[in-house]
Amino acid sequence: MDPTLVLQGLVSGVLAAGLYALVSVGLALAIGVIGVINFAHGEFFMIGAFLAYQLFVSFGFDPLLSLIFVAPALFVIGAIVYRSTIRYVLEAPELNQMLLTFGLSIIFQNLALLIWGGDPRSISGVPYRSIGVQLGGISIGLVPLGSFVISLVLVLALYVGLARTRLGRAMRAVAQNRVGASLVGLEVDRIYLVAFALSALLAGIGGVMIAVIQSPTPTVGFAFTLKAFAIVVLAGLGNIRGILWASLAVAVSESMVATLVPNGDALRNAVFFAIIFIVLVGRAWRRA
Amino acid sequence: MKRIRSVFVLVFVAAAVLLSTATAQVTIGILSPLTGGAAGTGQAQKEGFELALKEINAAGGVLGKPLKLIYADTQANPKVAVAAFEKLMTEDNVQFIGGGYSSGVTLALVESFKTFQPLVSWIGGAVSGVGIDNFQGIEELLGNEPWFFHVHPWDYQNTEASTQFIADSGVKTVALLHEDSAFGGPGSQAAQKLLEDAGLNVVLNEAFKSTLFGGTGDFRAAISKAAATKADMLYWIGYDSDVVPMISQIRELNYTPQQIFGAPPGWPSDFAKAPEAQCVTGLIGFMPNLPTPEAMAFTKSFEAMFDKAPDNYMSALAYAQLWSYADSINKAGTTDQAAVIKAMESLTFKSPMGPWKFHDSQITHHQGFGADMWLVFQYQNGVRQIVWPTAKATAPLQSCQASR
Amino acid sequence: MRRALPDVLWTLALAIVAALAPTLLKAGFDQASVSYLSLASNAMSLGILALSWDLLARTGQLSLAHAAFYGAGAYAAAVLANATGVPIVLALPLGGLVAGLLALGLGSVTLRLKGIYFAIATLAFTEVLKAVVQELPTGLAGGAAGLNVPPLFRPHFVPGQMQRWEIAFQRNEAYFYVYAALLVLTIAVSIVVQRTRLRAAFTAVRTNEAVAAVMGVRPARAKLLAFVLSSALVGMLGALEAMRLGSVIPDGTFAISTTVFALVTPIFGGLYTTLGPILGAGVLSAVEETLKRTFAEGYLIGYGVVLVASILFMPRGLVGLATRLRRRRGGSGTPAAGDAEGPA
Repeated sequence: MDPTLVLQGLVSGVLAAGLYALVSVGLALAIGVIGVINFAHGEFFMIGAFLAYQLFVSFGFDPLLSLIFVAPALFVIGAIVYRSTIRYVLEAPELNQMLLTFGLSIIFQNLALLIWGGDPRSISGVPYRSIGVQLGGISIGLVPLGSFVISLVLVLALYVGLARTRLGRAMRAVAQNRVGASLVGLEVDRIYLVAFALSALLAGIGGVMIAVIQSPTPTVGFAFTLKAFAIVVLAGLGNIRGILWASLAVAVSESMVATLVPNGDALRNAVFFAIIFIVLVGRAWRRA
Repeated sequence: MKRIRSVFVLVFVAAAVLLSTATAQVTIGILSPLTGGAAGTGQAQKEGFELALKEINAAGGVLGKPLKLIYADTQANPKVAVAAFEKLMTEDNVQFIGGGYSSGVTLALVESFKTFQPLVSWIGGAVSGVGIDNFQGIEELLGNEPWFFHVHPWDYQNTEASTQFIADSGVKTVALLHEDSAFGGPGSQAAQKLLEDAGLNVVLNEAFKSTLFGGTGDFRAAISKAAATKADMLYWIGYDSDVVPMISQIRELNYTPQQIFGAPPGWPSDFAKAPEAQCVTGLIGFMPNLPTPEAMAFTKSFEAMFDKAPDNYMSALAYAQLWSYADSINKAGTTDQAAVIKAMESLTFKSPMGPWKFHDSQITHHQGFGADMWLVFQYQNGVRQIVWPTAKATAPLQSCQASR
Repeated sequence: MRRALPDVLWTLALAIVAALAPTLLKAGFDQASVSYLSLASNAMSLGILALSWDLLARTGQLSLAHAAFYGAGAYAAAVLANATGVPIVLALPLGGLVAGLLALGLGSVTLRLKGIYFAIATLAFTEVLKAVVQELPTGLAGGAAGLNVPPLFRPHFVPGQMQRWEIAFQRNEAYFYVYAALLVLTIAVSIVVQRTRLRAAFTAVRTNEAVAAVMGVRPARAKLLAFVLSSALVGMLGALEAMRLGSVIPDGTFAISTTVFALVTPIFGGLYTTLGPILGAGVLSAVEETLKRTFAEGYLIGYGVVLVASILFMPRGLVGLATRLRRRRGGSGTPAAGDAEGPA
């Protein structure tokens, strides 16, 4: 096989890890800090994507500019969702959280269907989309590169933020021991609120990126959420930096199989989930 | 007291009976996916129906009464669709069924259709089954039923149109990318065979995972392989939501074939203004700027009613379907099934795509639109120009290499 | 086996109701009974899906692989039904057998996974199985196009002697009975689990595996047993639905939504009980159909609101609510049949 093709597959795979990390980082926060399994996380992507679309249609905003509005909007939406529903099921078993967030996801999806309809949309003016820097026959896409850098920044910022800031330390304390944290005077509810809203904000950023590379539809978040859950679990709960490595591992494997095997691009999900399955099972047996 | 009450009841019942016969109106049951993953299609159909309904009733209705539609949401889910159809038959007592989408739903309905045998005019479910071994498609299962009419072209007719365009476009080599579900999988096999029969060289036939079926929209490996073949044309078969990632990644990977041609069921409505859309060609069932009086009238009324262009051709098909019902029942002068079938078989209808009638396809005698419904447009400087067939063209086909 | 008699009576009563339901529906609603029977079958389908999932959940294994076993059963049935010379009725047990064996394999390798790790591993399994089925030779499994599946029942129309809707009624009635039988079987399995030592074993494995081991329960065996039972039941459901719906296709037959409804329904109705998942399936089906018939568009928003409200106001599902109300009324004091003990 043509070596350029193989190298291109490798480069594409490395860059694709950026998108995976970007969509996973918010979910990692929700699961890691609050311990809430949020089935509606994909709807935060979807809302972020549609808001970016709407800001473009109404005001001609570039998606990068939209980030300034979409991210805070999602923070507020996340806070509202937390205050009105999530906080009441924190003590409940995780299955209750699943039912609740599944209900929320149905509501959001069908609201979006009423507002924007089911037909795919597209943001028609993204000057940097579709541009690849050509280096010796290899193409480096600006958008994948951009999402790679953004996700790197977000993951590291979150990692440092959790380690160094007061809020971050409080979050970690709460994540580790809820009762203990409240005993030492931390306002657990406030911290959860911020963590959940932040997780929605991060999903909003992912959603804007999805709106750039795909068409916003009411169900656009689903495929990303499924993979994000898998990546967060592969990285290990609470392991924020692990997101990067997990994303890199699955994205590069996907891309290499897609490149080397005939019809490989159709096998991406199979490869992705086969890796997840083997690693999870293997880890459990090794540990025992 | 009791007597008075029973008199009242009697009068009331009599009045109700009289009233109901006086306003007995023709009702058509519509099976469309109004929610769920295919809601975009269902909504587009519904808009076409609503416009046609308004016009039909303004023109005097059906058999002198306003026509009535009852929508039943299938959610594009076979189980839901069967119950919804049975409700239309047994609770709403409709005699006529319209709408129609999704091959899985249609396959699940086959048994129920054959049981009740209402007059079914069905838009979609394009999987004919013709040419696929070990698999019975919709045309094979329902094509011989006298009460079954099919509006949308069959899969082989779609492929026929695509092949004809590709042959006419002057390219010699084709790299074919297809999504791997029931739409693109068998579709790509049929396409490759037809293209090779037409003397074209298919240098690659490679699958990808559609965003509609759990893919996250990374087609770079498949596109890179296509680019390595240096084929004159990249021909891709996928869904509406694959358009943006497919086209932008072709650009990003610097693949510059003469033609980039796609055959998804629809295109994102505002993609025309995107710079990467330039010179991309696509197969489509209807264009709002089709320069015929019927199309212009339809587009104008549609825009007046919904404040947007009829970009999804499912609207035009639904509109054509409902008009064909209204005209046939009016012509028959009765709701008697045999008479309406006869009228449907013999009449020519108006539609945004021009005059049409039910005709023969591979199996059925009741096929609405054929390969000749399809148009090919090309994004040219922010506008979708019709470039094929030449008779309907609004601009000549450009090469992507020339426009660079 | 305490209080085994009431259980048997309840199940018997349910079976009798099911046996009479089609006749009563026909007498009461005439031809409208046709669609009611379909809706009832759909509701029972949800009930089987939910209760079989709950069986597994009782051991603390939060599986996201229910769609995989449903699909495996459906495909096994499709392959058999298309083979010549084999009675099509065998498709049902075969679907259960294939799904059960598959579960034995999956269960064995995922034994040591817990919580969300188990959940994601089983989700991944579903996706991989779907891809494998699609890549099988088209002569066997049909590839991307899928397979046609001949119907289990095709009543004969006798012109002049019956009306068209009566054939539909006969067919739906026949399917209704098979669904009811499968539901009764699932309930029976659930009751056996609840009324034998298995219940203590399952609960112990769920709440604390170390304690379970001390109690003399072998966690691995309990988990595998639950996995195989649960999957065999849903495999039979998949087989039945393949024949009722006429085709199998990878993207539809292995749809994740099957898994989602399998877990949502028991939570809504009440986890780790026999009654809860059944009740949940009935109520959710009724709510959705009523909303659908009342509001043409956006009715699923109402459905979502019901789910959200339910978990906020009934954290232990319908069954938990019933128990709470009864206790507040100062009723018998004994928990409801099937017991609404909350998840640990």
